[in-house]
Amino acid sequence: MAAPEVHHLFHHPIADHSFSADKQTLAVARDTSVELYGRTGSGFKLKDELKGHDKLVTSVDIALSTGRIVTCSQDRNALVWEPSPTGYKPTLVLLRINRAATFVRWSPSETKFAVGSGARVIAICYFEEENDWWVSKHIKKPIRSTVTTVAWHPNSVLLAAGSTDAHARVFSSFIKGVDERPEPGVWGERLPFNTVCGEYLNNSAGWVHAVSFSPSGNALAFAAHDSSITVVYPNGADQAPRAVVSVNTQLLPFMSLIWNGESEIIAAGYDCEAYRFKGNEGGWQLTGSLESKGRPGVGAAREESAFNMFKQMDLKGKTNDDTQLKTVHQNTISTIRVYEGSGGAVRKFSTSGVDGRIVIWNA
Amino acid sequence: MSIIQQVTSASLSDNWRTINIDALDPDSSTNFDTSTLRPSLAPVSESEIRSIGQQVRQLLRGGDAEGALRGALESAPYGGDDSVKEIHLGTVVEVLQGIRASEISGILGRIWGSEGGSEVVDCLMKYLYKGMAASATVGKTPSRGSTLTPQSTGAGFSQMGGRPGAQNESSGAAMSVLLSWHEKVVDVAGLGSVNRSMTDWRKV
Repeated sequence: MAAPEVHHLFHHPIADHSFSADKQTLAVARDTSVELYGRTGSGFKLKDELKGHDKLVTSVDIALSTGRIVTCSQDRNALVWEPSPTGYKPTLVLLRINRAATFVRWSPSETKFAVGSGARVIAICYFEEENDWWVSKHIKKPIRSTVTTVAWHPNSVLLAAGSTDAHARVFSSFIKGVDERPEPGVWGERLPFNTVCGEYLNNSAGWVHAVSFSPSGNALAFAAHDSSITVVYPNGADQAPRAVVSVNTQLLPFMSLIWNGESEIIAAGYDCEAYRFKGNEGGWQLTGSLESKGRPGVGAAREESAFNMFKQMDLKGKTNDDTQLKTVHQNTISTIRVYEGSGGAVRKFSTSGVDGRIVIWNA
Repeated sequence: MSIIQQVTSASLSDNWRTINIDALDPDSSTNFDTSTLRPSLAPVSESEIRSIGQQVRQLLRGGDAEGALRGALESAPYGGDDSVKEIHLGTVVEVLQGIRASEISGILGRIWGSEGGSEVVDCLMKYLYKGMAASATVGKTPSRGSTLTPQSTGAGFSQMGGRPGAQNESSGAAMSVLLSWHEKVVDVAGLGSVNRSMTDWRKV
């Protein structure tokens, strides 16, 4: 397996990151601004800075075809940055929330985006032509706590959301005039706005960090703070799901997850490395880490001579340097995204975390 | 109404920040019964839990330590009230004390590897933490002390109101048993198990 591509951008946590469609631009949420990095050869160079929020930016997403960037922040606002020849122009979106906005994602159709918030609502935002204005509609019930994460179904109508009330839910975000009427599927047939298509809770019920639909949209996976991932296979409207498979791991909790095809999930979080899960309706297993430990260059390169040992003892009072983790990321991974793939299969994915690194991995 | 009355010249500075707006919002989480979020648990009566305790002790006396531990943990009274939970804690701690240190790893490994084993080990983790909390306060609450370590009842009474650090010898022994179990459980089930013992709403 080829070595991952590591970019250490700065010594500051990265709340979220997003690549443009051509992978030449990387948007990184850093503190109260969003930094845009341009690809130069093998590295990334700071190109532009989007300043508009006055509190921590919690999430950023680049629309793949239109190139619009949406950001949201603890200042309770979301901004849509429109690309123009003279740079990005921000437009404020009225979210009408009284708590921090926590998470934002464009729908696959790129006509809407969903913003999760601490106000126990999800704001579904869309552009109203006649008013030349982004408006938002709230999904409120039955969310009882902060929405930590959202994820879109491929049909751009269904939306999964994870919350600190330990539930992962699937809602309809159908908006007349914006969306095509969706095909009936496993999640339900009639889907007016705010239909609750599913509400899931696993046994030990940690708050939910990440949700994701499988490439076909017919299964939902979520990762919770009880160090588990749970995969739900629904069985049509108003019926109990066909299967709910929960994997309790021995690891620390996962913060983010993606699907690779229908039978593989890649998740990463507080253990600072990505793990692979494999399975199907019958059951899921953790198959191991995606990192090959003891990579050359992380300690193995240091010559273990007696001279070196005494030198280390003299300098540091100990023989081996244990301030470095054996993983590529040196702190929690907070976001994992598909970097390159086709038809649901992932070839490469990117991770970012609290250590200020962006790493591109081969799946 | 009351919000408007509170906007005086004094509160215009920053006092409004202290208004608890959640209390005024009927939809807010403070006005919401969070127990309705979860499926309810079947109640367990005191006589049921005592008979389970008897069965578990019988298994333990019969030499089936693994079966006793599994039985005790699988019948954890999540839906019982506090006194029922205390009785079962006593049973579990007794089983833990009745298993030799050299056998712990083997038993845990077999339970973890079996069907539904991770649930059982997670439940054990919850009892370990509860047991540690209970043995730290054993001197102050004689009723707890008596269920936890029956042979120490007398000492527990005599030390009522004593210094928190001044625990009797047997509670120290119970603690050391729990600590050695804790180490072995983490070896088998990892830190994930500690996490689940904290997040799980089914309390023991």
